[in-house]
Amino acid sequence: MTFLKSQLKNNRFLMIVILAYVAVGIFSPDKFLPSLGNTWYYVKEMLMIMPVILLLTSLISAWVPKETIENAFGKNSGIKGSLFAFLLGSFSAGPIYAAFPVCKMLLSKGASIANIVIILSTWAVIKIPMLITESKFLGPEFMVVRWILTTLAIFLMGYITSRFVKPEDLPADDEAAALVDPLSLNPDYCVGCGLCAKIAPSHFKMVDKKATVISQTLSSGDGLAIKDAVAKCPSQIIRFHP
Amino acid sequence: MDIFTLIFWVITLVWLGFSLKKDKGKTLKAIKMSGGMMKGIAGDILGILLLIGLILTFVPPETIKATIGQTNEVVSTVLFALLGSITLIPAFVAFPLVASLVDAGASIVPIVAFLTTLTMVGVVTFPLEKREFGLKFTLIRNSLSLIFALVIALTMGVIL
Ligand code: SF4
Repeated sequence: MTFLKSQLKNNRFLMIVILAYVAVGIFSPDKFLPSLGNTWYYVKEMLMIMPVILLLTSLISAWVPKETIENAFGKNSGIKGSLFAFLLGSFSAGPIYAAFPVCKMLLSKGASIANIVIILSTWAVIKIPMLITESKFLGPEFMVVRWILTTLAIFLMGYITSRFVKPEDLPADDEAAALVDPLSLNPDYCVGCGLCAKIAPSHFKMVDKKATVISQTLSSGDGLAIKDAVAKCPSQIIRFHP
Repeated sequence: MDIFTLIFWVITLVWLGFSLKKDKGKTLKAIKMSGGMMKGIAGDILGILLLIGLILTFVPPETIKATIGQTNEVVSTVLFALLGSITLIPAFVAFPLVASLVDAGASIVPIVAFLTTLTMVGVVTFPLEKREFGLKFTLIRNSLSLIFALVIALTMGVIL
């Protein structure tokens, strides 16, 4: 029963649409099958690319050395730094707000304002898995042209923003609050991927699509799992000070 | 299957082969994790696809075409750009949605504006962004994104 309840809660949108279908089935049954038929066409298209996207995202997360890239461009703020920023954004996953904490961390490592804009924008619009979806649904030509234009725009935006915003304009980091507990996370930026709960189930739990810390007690061996979760969290929001 | 999808499939499968050969455990673990992430949004994707089916049945393409054809392109582009700024849905879900509009005969200019602002401009996430990067940065980044989204959209209208 609780399982059913949590399923309902997590798929509220799907449930509403299904209810709409029930209503259609009752009030204008002649439209019911055509609706499903129209849906089927898009489902087919989705199924053709879903496995690729799934595999590609996994391969990227397994083999693209994010830490190396992150460390590298803290020091380079020239063309090379921008290029790294562009790559980092292109090979990421998750919505734009997942990029905020990552960028914050990079700022503290010395990344420039222009590069932060480049990561944020690239992360938002032209990630690799998204390009595949776009080319599937809107055609390769559409995707390529939009990619070229957007890339140009992103570099321009980085440059313009850095002319107006100076590093002093950014608020200082206040991590002090997080130091009270050994383990903490900011649920605002949690993308709900559930990785932490999977890796360290005794310390994290998913509640309402957001992760929460359920235990502060550390028994021997826990440290490794938690550190793994810290490293794998796509928004880099788990703080751990044993 | 179109050539592009095919290319992606080939690249991915070749990479997967290498990856499995090099470190089987690591590869399988990564796949399992992405699988979990995918499961999280599967419900939303299915929901939106079902909704598209419903809309297309009740609002026939001819009607969509006629309505969109009647409104001024500049007006609809700005409207779509604003609509994209205030909504926060994963782009993954947005592509089939806009594709259904394009299939129904909508012009691509407003569509591009929508797609670009959807992901790049965040009205909903504005407070979060402001807290992390300050008002000035957030304001400038979001306004520039909106402007460039319109420029990109209009340019694409000319090219394609
Ligand atoms: S790893 Fe955990 S905390 Fe990080 S985004 Fe995923 S669910 Fe949220």
